[in-house]
Amino acid sequence: MTGPLAYLAVRSARNRLVRQLRRLRTPRYALALLLGLAYLWAVGIHRRPSAGPPQVNPETIELLAAVGITAALLWIWIFGADRRALAFSRAEVTWLFPAPVTRRELIRYKLLRGQFVILFNVLLWTFLLSGGWVDTGPWRRAAAIWILLTTLALHRLGVALLRSSLLEHGAAAFRSRAVTLTILAVVVGAALVDAADALPALRAAWDLGLQQFLAAADAAARRPVPAALLLPGRLLARPMLAQSWVEWGRGILPAAGLLLAHYVWVVRSDAAFEESAAAAALTRQRTGDQSGGRRFAARPIPRLAPAGWQGGALLWKNLAAVVRTGRARGVVLGFVAVALAITLLSIGGTGATLLEIVGWLAAMWAGFLLVLGPQWVRNDLRTDLSKLALLRSYPLRGRTVVGAETAGSTAVLTALQLGLAGIAYLAFQGASVQEPAPALRTAALAAAVVFLPAVNFLAMLIQNGAALLLPAWVRVGTERPIGVEALGHSMLMMVGFTAILAVLLLGPATAGGAVFLALQPFAGWWAAAPAALGALLAAGLESRLLLLRLGRVFEATDPSSVPPMEWP
Amino acid sequence: MIEVEGLQKVYGNLAAVQDLSFRVLPGEVVGLVGPNGAGKTTTLHCLAGITIPTAGRVRVAGHDLAADPVSAKSALAFVPDEPHLFEYLTVEEHLRFVARLYRVGDVDRRLPGVLREMELEDRHGALPGELSRGMKQKLAIACALIHDPKALLLDEPLTGLDPVGIRRMKATILEHARAGASVMLSSHLLHLVEEICTRVLIMRRGRVLAFGTISEIVASRPDLAGLRLEEVFLGLVGLEDSVEG
Repeated sequence: MTGPLAYLAVRSARNRLVRQLRRLRTPRYALALLLGLAYLWAVGIHRRPSAGPPQVNPETIELLAAVGITAALLWIWIFGADRRALAFSRAEVTWLFPAPVTRRELIRYKLLRGQFVILFNVLLWTFLLSGGWVDTGPWRRAAAIWILLTTLALHRLGVALLRSSLLEHGAAAFRSRAVTLTILAVVVGAALVDAADALPALRAAWDLGLQQFLAAADAAARRPVPAALLLPGRLLARPMLAQSWVEWGRGILPAAGLLLAHYVWVVRSDAAFEESAAAAALTRQRTGDQSGGRRFAARPIPRLAPAGWQGGALLWKNLAAVVRTGRARGVVLGFVAVALAITLLSIGGTGATLLEIVGWLAAMWAGFLLVLGPQWVRNDLRTDLSKLALLRSYPLRGRTVVGAETAGSTAVLTALQLGLAGIAYLAFQGASVQEPAPALRTAALAAAVVFLPAVNFLAMLIQNGAALLLPAWVRVGTERPIGVEALGHSMLMMVGFTAILAVLLLGPATAGGAVFLALQPFAGWWAAAPAALGALLAAGLESRLLLLRLGRVFEATDPSSVPPMEWP
Repeated sequence: MIEVEGLQKVYGNLAAVQDLSFRVLPGEVVGLVGPNGAGKTTTLHCLAGITIPTAGRVRVAGHDLAADPVSAKSALAFVPDEPHLFEYLTVEEHLRFVARLYRVGDVDRRLPGVLREMELEDRHGALPGELSRGMKQKLAIACALIHDPKALLLDEPLTGLDPVGIRRMKATILEHARAGASVMLSSHLLHLVEEICTRVLIMRRGRVLAFGTISEIVASRPDLAGLRLEEVFLGLVGLEDSVEG
């Protein structure tokens, strides 16, 4: 890479670091950092004494890691390699594209720029994984994690380049990802068919316990097709799990070879890069940086009533954003299709096992969304803070803005969860499931309908509060870091969020629990509904207090304190 | 009316605006001019309630911006230099959205007029991504005018507009002033300021260098007599530079 590009990458990273450090002069940033460090310290201290000999076979750990890495690679092929992977910032397009710089140098610059996020994640994961099941020295583990994350980043860029190249050369079918999905379905299907012979053994092992099941899964994964599919994952996982220098030395060379092969693949893709990167950058400029390159379609939405609560306008606007990305339509169609399939299966009296699986999966996802949903659904202040000056000019109280913005993402998340809960409920009706009892299921669904909006509102208030209080540390706007290598930041935020949510839910849980215990002897499981109502009141009180506080923070926040988040 | 008393805004060690006091009467168009970094945008942001002043008081249509921000903001409109639009709302939906925020009851009656005034009738169903820079600017201005504000703040309002758009924009500003609005605009286009502004406020490094009609400013500086605003501006700013240098 030429000097100026290396200079740009290094100085940009240095200046970003200095800017972040300067923010620590602000008490709220300093406090947040201290709390984060205290958590990491507590995790480290808590875990080290308990780290004894591995409870799980190292080969099983390698299998699990390989499955995880393979899933990440598949994810890249299916979802994670759009043109955003190629996009440069507006300044980079303005200055670098007309400059006498070769496209290959631009790719190397992009790779170097991405290294700063990767190095942060290497540091984080090295610490988090230290003292666990497998005792690899920190330096060896750091090197292995660096190879893994860099390879994943290169893979993503390579797939994006390949996809763009095919598009440019007229492979229109790739536009719908149909071919990609078909190829992947064939590969995964072949692996599953190959492993199907092992199904009886797996079932038998499941009855014997987890250890036996994992051992049987390991044996199934060593059959030819699954083994070939998991090989890259195993190669990348091995050095991370090595327990000695010799093992590490044996593992690191194939992993480094894989990394090198990816590097050569990406750097040699420069012919496609030229058009693709420029097109991605132009799309981003045309749609505006705030849209993060997302395309919106002017789908019809209900007209906003001219009169009514002013915050309703913000709520309507944020729901329009969801509808117009097209995701909402896909989700609704998916829910309807699954509900129809469940109804047909139930009427036919067949597929009881399938219905049970669908039911448990839907219920599990509804539960996962309690924690993950508030990070994923972001049609609120986290998106709109990039337009803070505009929001501040509106004749609205801060609490109205915060409340309406939070209500938007709460509505979307609640609809998703209730959709999943409804699917689970329907599926269990058709399945031959005895536990939980039908009455309990109905009571749980009723309690969910009552209580979920309140829990979600509290959760979204935490997320929006974090964006208001620590705008430099929270993703602002629709632009977001993409790729497995940027998971560290999300994970830290999720840990903090979960801790705060748990504390906030203590009050409603206590209130709800007290009501349930008082009424349960008379009403049985139906006491869940009034208990949810009691909890709802407690959550409402907490929400009100938080809203008042965050409203004042909104009114005091200067737009200049919200920097546009730049992700390398 | 816009009333400003002792306005001050400090960022760390930097005093962006210092001891600023003035009034913009109904029907007046006041031009805010000054070199880059003079504090023009910060001043407008303070007047629009976007930035909280370090000290001083701002009243809009009789409402204190600090004590009663909702009433004060309901009476004013701010057009930033870069149009901030929501990428997922159409032109018409932007106007309906803003109308609801400002409690405009008869939005259906006002919409056609505003769309026509800003030449957006044919694009009422378009998303911002389908609009040119100038069209986006017109939409931002249309959003500002939909609630018929008593105070209009414009930051570089002509940026991105074509010659026809510039002429129409000037007419719109004057029309709203004639209807009784207090208008304040910042611009580097001194001929525009000279053409449509009744008074001029010249700022430099956060302080007022001069405020009044051009003839009043010249009267206080006989050496600038007979010069156009551009020369007056350069004379004032240049003199300050040489004095400080």
